[in-house]
Amino acid sequence: MTFQEKEAKLSAGAVKYFVGGDGPPVLYLHSGGGVRLASKPINDWAESFKIFMPVTPGFDGTPFLDGVDSMQGLADLAGEFIDTVIGGPCDVIGYSFGGWTAAWLAVLHGGKIGQMVLEGPAGFRPDGAVGLASDPAEFVKQMYAHPEKIPEDGKPEETVAHNRKAMGHYHDASPMDKALVARLGEIETLTLILHGTEDGAIPEESPRLLKSLIPRSFLVYVYDAAHVMEIDQPERVSLLVRDFLTRAEGFLVNWGDEAAGLDAAAATA
Amino acid sequence: MRYSYTHHMPYTDIDRAGQDWPVPNKQFDPQKGVKMFKAYIKDKIYAEQAGFDWIGCNEHHMSPYGLMPNPNLVGAVLAHQTTKAGILQSGNILPIANPIRVAEEYAMIDVLSGGRLIAGFMRGIPHEYIAYNEPPSESYSRMNEAVELIKKCWTETEPFGWEGEHYQFRAVSIWPKPVQQPLPPILMSAASEQSAKLAAKHRAIAGLLALSDMDDGRRSMERYRTFAREYGWEPGPLDFTVGLNCCIAPTKDEAIKILKSGQEYFFGVLGGGIRTAQKLVVQKTRYYQDQKTAKEQAKKFVNMRMGGLSFEEKMECGLMICGTPDMAIEQIHTVHKELGNARIGLSIKIGNVLDEHVTRTLDYLRDEVFPATRHLGEEEAQAAQ
Repeated sequence: MTFQEKEAKLSAGAVKYFVGGDGPPVLYLHSGGGVRLASKPINDWAESFKIFMPVTPGFDGTPFLDGVDSMQGLADLAGEFIDTVIGGPCDVIGYSFGGWTAAWLAVLHGGKIGQMVLEGPAGFRPDGAVGLASDPAEFVKQMYAHPEKIPEDGKPEETVAHNRKAMGHYHDASPMDKALVARLGEIETLTLILHGTEDGAIPEESPRLLKSLIPRSFLVYVYDAAHVMEIDQPERVSLLVRDFLTRAEGFLVNWGDEAAGLDAAAATA
Repeated sequence: MRYSYTHHMPYTDIDRAGQDWPVPNKQFDPQKGVKMFKAYIKDKIYAEQAGFDWIGCNEHHMSPYGLMPNPNLVGAVLAHQTTKAGILQSGNILPIANPIRVAEEYAMIDVLSGGRLIAGFMRGIPHEYIAYNEPPSESYSRMNEAVELIKKCWTETEPFGWEGEHYQFRAVSIWPKPVQQPLPPILMSAASEQSAKLAAKHRAIAGLLALSDMDDGRRSMERYRTFAREYGWEPGPLDFTVGLNCCIAPTKDEAIKILKSGQEYFFGVLGGGIRTAQKLVVQKTRYYQDQKTAKEQAKKFVNMRMGGLSFEEKMECGLMICGTPDMAIEQIHTVHKELGNARIGLSIKIGNVLDEHVTRTLDYLRDEVFPATRHLGEEEAQAAQ
């Protein structure tokens, strides 16, 4: 799939984004690693959806924007992106750091979202939980159940390090965003929460907390995946999300032949 | 020493089962089956009165070897009709089962029994894979995933879904949940390297069956300890259970005669079709992940038929509890001294050993053997906890 690089003129400044695919619009909010155009799930989803991937200001070599320096600020920016670029409500996928932003987006601008997927969202670590390791080998263990799958054409170390640092521009590094947790009950968006069974970065208490507080939510464990589940188990993540975005609550039902199920869902939509 | 009672519930009214797989069931007489079930259940309940700590139920399919394709049905009866013994399900064969169903039924047994379930997670013996048409080469990966999923069913506080390699469930929230929190005790086989590693990961009580000799036992236990340390824990004497055949009689000769005859029937008559299937699975598939393990296990099948060791040799190396009560006491002391375990699983209904002989052995155990061996390993077990 080819993604086009574009630029959106928003009130706070210019935001770089990538767009590709065909179908109903989906806003994809990337993780602290930045945009990964080669992600298999993203490319799979682009066969059924039009994927919009804004680059969070300060990531992947882009500048920060004046006045956008909090998670709420990022959510406001995403809301404006939906209005300005997509032109109306859309589904949202937020991964890790992007999942944190997506949750704020659902709280502050729920009307702009159809359904939401939170892949291993950050921002909900209980007090005392282990943070991200500074030792590179330990960090890889936290992030990947299958480090052998890490693509060789990944980003330069420098960019990765810069992206990790950029996250600090938007929050104070506290493990739990208590202000957001207090408002999770306001989310009306149908939400799918994904968590890797081997995730070493986000403890299981986090997805449980989200599941217990977001009223219309589903929690699915992705077996044999750590935090970077799109690389550890791309097929499982791809199928789950596509199924959820296509069938909404109906994704709970085993439709037998997958394609037939998707066709049926489309026919009744 | 803690004791568990193993009883396969064999069908003993045949002279020749043959070597075919599956074993033709035209030889099964339902009326005789009714009588056997009544006698076997009565016997298992009696084992509690005899002082066994756990009463075991096993799963095997399509053979007179065992009439318990669903051990949970028998476990439910025992849960209701006993009051203190642990209900050892050893186990459900996870790779051929629906893990959600296992989680639910085990939870039911735990609730029915007031928290007495010992959750056995087994990979089964090779022929089960033919019976349920599951690929033997997937046995380990199914086992791995099923254990994780079952534990999740028991511990998860919110409804959840599971997207795995072999199992996909979008909405799980089982009712009832087990009484024992956070988890019931888990028992798994540690017979092969792969099994031992998985069992250690889940802090399971390691089941050691069909040992070739004491060295084999020591090696298997040390291997288990090594894996356990890798997972951050140290197994104590109560974390090992050693399976042994047992017959106690007024004289050594009588005990040997009974057990030898029962074993010959077990391997010669009841085990024929199973061996045919096992050979097919072990030789033609990747049931074991490497040739070395396959060869080791194949050798054990031979040993079970006593082709490798004679009955007497097996007694000599201490892997049989057979003889008078005094001999049984001494043999159990030897096993404990050699291996340091604080659990033993005794199989007494071996093949066509008569039910009255089984009861007599239970009585000897209750009156003489258990009182003289209870203390073995207790101090070490307490220290390890």
